[in-house]
Amino acid sequence: MGEKLAEEEREIVTPGEVLGRAAELKAGKGTYVSADGAGVSYVYASLTGRRALLPPPPDSPDKRPIVEVTGHKAHGAVPEPGCIVLARVKKVMAKMASADIMCVGERSVREKFTGVIRQQDVRATEIDKVDMHASFRVGDIVRAVVVSLVHMVLLFLVPSHVALLGGTCIILDTFTKLSLGDARAYYLSTAKNELGVVSAESTAGLRPEMVLAGEMMIPISWTEMQCPVTGQIEQRKVAKVGN
Amino acid sequence: MEFVSPEGLRLDGRRPTEMRQLRAAIGAVSKADGSAVFEMGNTKVIAAVYGPREVENKAELINDQALVRCEYTMANFSTGDRVRKPKGDRRSTEISLVIRQTMEACIMTHLMPRSQIDIFVQVLQADGGTRSACINAATLALADAGIPMRDLVTSCSAGYLNSTPLLDLNYVEDSAGGPDVTVGFLPKLDKVTLLQMDSKLSMDIFQSVMQLAIEGCKAIANYIREVLHENTKQLEYRRGV
Repeated sequence: MGEKLAEEEREIVTPGEVLGRAAELKAGKGTYVSADGAGVSYVYASLTGRRALLPPPPDSPDKRPIVEVTGHKAHGAVPEPGCIVLARVKKVMAKMASADIMCVGERSVREKFTGVIRQQDVRATEIDKVDMHASFRVGDIVRAVVVSLVHMVLLFLVPSHVALLGGTCIILDTFTKLSLGDARAYYLSTAKNELGVVSAESTAGLRPEMVLAGEMMIPISWTEMQCPVTGQIEQRKVAKVGN
Repeated sequence: MEFVSPEGLRLDGRRPTEMRQLRAAIGAVSKADGSAVFEMGNTKVIAAVYGPREVENKAELINDQALVRCEYTMANFSTGDRVRKPKGDRRSTEISLVIRQTMEACIMTHLMPRSQIDIFVQVLQADGGTRSACINAATLALADAGIPMRDLVTSCSAGYLNSTPLLDLNYVEDSAGGPDVTVGFLPKLDKVTLLQMDSKLSMDIFQSVMQLAIEGCKAIANYIREVLHENTKQLEYRRGV
């Protein structure tokens, strides 16, 4: 009986197959919930793969087991607001830098996405005095977070006066409608200690024959990185790595 | 012309409710995220899926869901006469639109916002029912690419010649000028997503022809599920699981 249950749990399912009732199972990755004609909700598979049953987390009020479908090929990662990405800087301009997003979370993307780091998103303090060329250079690998516009607005509105409360509701509404889609690319922000440049190569050395030293630089503070070969110090917005 | 003989056999020896032989192979285009070759008798179609990836044309970007694009082309050598304009002509544009709408209805686009999924289908050999073969191939390619779908979309055509409903018309039967009903169906959810017809049919006969096409779709869905099962087992075997 136990073996039979294990067989059933590990069977191969294809999209559209019923995995169980929504009242008995919680929908995990690779599944979705939909009600049929009679109004009963079922959990259906949305991918091709092996079905697995996970026990419910011990501290949650919901005691239903979670059903998951794991396929062989996961579809390419897509950046979502709030997720950490790794990007390579492609161009640095006066007010912004453009970067190619290469990894979303722990997964690499199949084809790069375009991201933009604006002057006001580089760091949390003195955002109008940021020098883009002293924060990023072409070829740097940067850890950033994809900006969620609603989150930004809430941070801005918190210190405002209680008297403006009526107005803030309207502003919030307008901002949520003004979504990321107005931009040409994803907005990235490095305005946290653990975000910023994680890997950079040093530029031309002191001696003419050492053009493009290309050495991996070592971070010495949150604004400076040093080349181990030439000893030259270069300005970057450095990410704090480690605990 | 006689399309159904007095013994009840069609021009190629099939019975009226018999479908042509189905053959499918997954992973034909290794560079694509997902690909499949689908054959229905002599009709052979290849589908390649790329995505989800960044939207090329920012004007078409949709904020809360993925953009689905589809292109249907016929290879020059696919028909008896060399095809002059493989894409851009009205028939190809119409079929591209039809396939796009059918696939968009079943892909869970809200899980991949601000991205683009490209489906390319090319007919290598055309012998009637190319539209249906393309939809079936696209379904397999999307399943291979790991793109979440509500259900597998399958498609089949049916017609009405010599007072008999016929399942899965080939080119000769299709060009007879009789009605040709193409149905796109979600088998587990039991929903029709595509319904097209050429020529005219009375209401009661249309019911029986459409029902026959739906039965054909269910049979194709069973075959596609078997192919996906086999493919999964093969991949696991190669990975050593």
